[in-house]
Amino acid sequence: MNPILTFLVVLIGFYGLSTSDNVIKSVFSVTIIESGVILLFLNLGNFEGGAIPILSEGVTQIVDPLPQALMITTIVIGSTVTALSLMLCIKVFHHYGTVEWKEVLSREDVKS
Amino acid sequence: MVNYITDLSLIDYTAYALQFLLIFIAVAIVVHKNNGTIIILIASFSLVTASLYVINNAPDVAIAEVAIGSAIIPLIYVISISRQREFIVLDKAMDDFIISDNQFTGIGYILLKRFSDFYHLELNITNDPLLCRLGEGKDQILCEQTNVDLIVSKDPASGEYILKGKASNILMNKLEQMTKDYDNIRVIKFKDRDFGE
Amino acid sequence: MSRQIVLILLLGALFAVFTMSIIELEGLYNAFGKEYFLEYGQSDTGSNNLVTAILLDYRLFDSLFEAGILLIAVSGVIWISKHDIEEKNARFMIDKFKTPDLFITFSRLVYPLMLAFGFYVIVNGHLSPGGGFQGGTIVATAILILYYIDADKETNIGLIVTVEKIVYLLIIVLASVSIVTRGTFFTNFFPLDATQDTKAIYLVLLNVLIGFKVALGLWTIFTAFLKEGR
Repeated sequence: MNPILTFLVVLIGFYGLSTSDNVIKSVFSVTIIESGVILLFLNLGNFEGGAIPILSEGVTQIVDPLPQALMITTIVIGSTVTALSLMLCIKVFHHYGTVEWKEVLSREDVKS
Repeated sequence: MVNYITDLSLIDYTAYALQFLLIFIAVAIVVHKNNGTIIILIASFSLVTASLYVINNAPDVAIAEVAIGSAIIPLIYVISISRQREFIVLDKAMDDFIISDNQFTGIGYILLKRFSDFYHLELNITNDPLLCRLGEGKDQILCEQTNVDLIVSKDPASGEYILKGKASNILMNKLEQMTKDYDNIRVIKFKDRDFGE
Repeated sequence: MSRQIVLILLLGALFAVFTMSIIELEGLYNAFGKEYFLEYGQSDTGSNNLVTAILLDYRLFDSLFEAGILLIAVSGVIWISKHDIEEKNARFMIDKFKTPDLFITFSRLVYPLMLAFGFYVIVNGHLSPGGGFQGGTIVATAILILYYIDADKETNIGLIVTVEKIVYLLIIVLASVSIVTRGTFFTNFFPLDATQDTKAIYLVLLNVLIGFKVALGLWTIFTAFLKEGR
């Protein structure tokens, strides 16, 4: 596992977040960033020759269970936040007739 | 350098391959223009990340990712992507403006079809009896609170067809420009209301 | 175009900084916590799976508020997608999305298996990979299959959310029982010197409640989405 390659995924997510025209693509860019961060955290506790953090006979070396417990929290919360933002996307389309950032932001009732 | 490569075991090769695959899929999602094909990429993205979690000795996280990313997240993406390409019309006129002889051949249908094809939308026409039986005064609430984008009704006095939608919707302005040549079609746009009105 | 070039340059600078600091990243990390969990985790909490031990005992406070955020997000989704008019969206005249018969038959075959697997993952959360959050999502996915079988299935969202709130209160009550028996909040309510099997009763109870709550929350979310998309 290489943390540099994982960090590239985070940067791709940032790029998508900054340049995407579509609201849905922005929402998915947040998911990409989240996956990259989870991989970085898991990579921190992992090491060569470590066993999974489930105790049984003869286990002496385990990987760190604390980042894994935190990342389960991240995944569940991330999915609900994605659902909330996508529901907002649907409502934005119904209200404005478009989900392109430029068209939505160029409207006069949005500027203020 | 050669020593470095020979030291890698099979699991490391797999991890590197999966990481490059992950980067490739992420770039494809960010760059791709067509929203329909993104759905497959989204599902495969979560599958590849789940495999990487297993390689990182984290089976609990992998189970959570697979369980969420296999069905529920793609489903909500599918629904929101397909919803943003739809144009839903409620037909309250009940005559041959849209449907004649149980076929979509009315003049109104041809007009709306041309409009929605021009903006790459999918036209969905409904005459749900539950929504149609509500009175004229409720049309604005109907537009705001259900998924109906446009209401077609008929003025009994003058015989004009009235197309009603929300003023905030960009598509309504475009529809108004398209139909200004027709004498028997009128477009009404509802202004936004604040909360509590 | 120039903005994109500036953006790429900025991200490249970020990447360079990260690459240079990758060696110091390992200096930040120490293994004391891991060694503590390895030595005392099983006897403290009664759980073989140390991730479950952290989620349900050492850091139960985190998990409680995670479940709370799930509840808040579900309430948000329902509030945004609320319809005052008879809670209904328009249905279409032509049913384009007719499910194939083969798919319906296989769904009926797979549904009980998925439900059983979900319960297995929930109940065995302290022995094998899994637990309340993971098993809850598997159960929710199994419930989703019911909608493929019968697309017009009616669901009472208000009742589901009410049950979910009650289950959340039950989780908080079960987590707080330890103030009576042990004198501290949010830990196992059996005494510290109880056997591992006795402590597992608490873990299984809490896992079942959390799994139930997560399944209900995700069920509400995709019901709200299916109502929008129908």
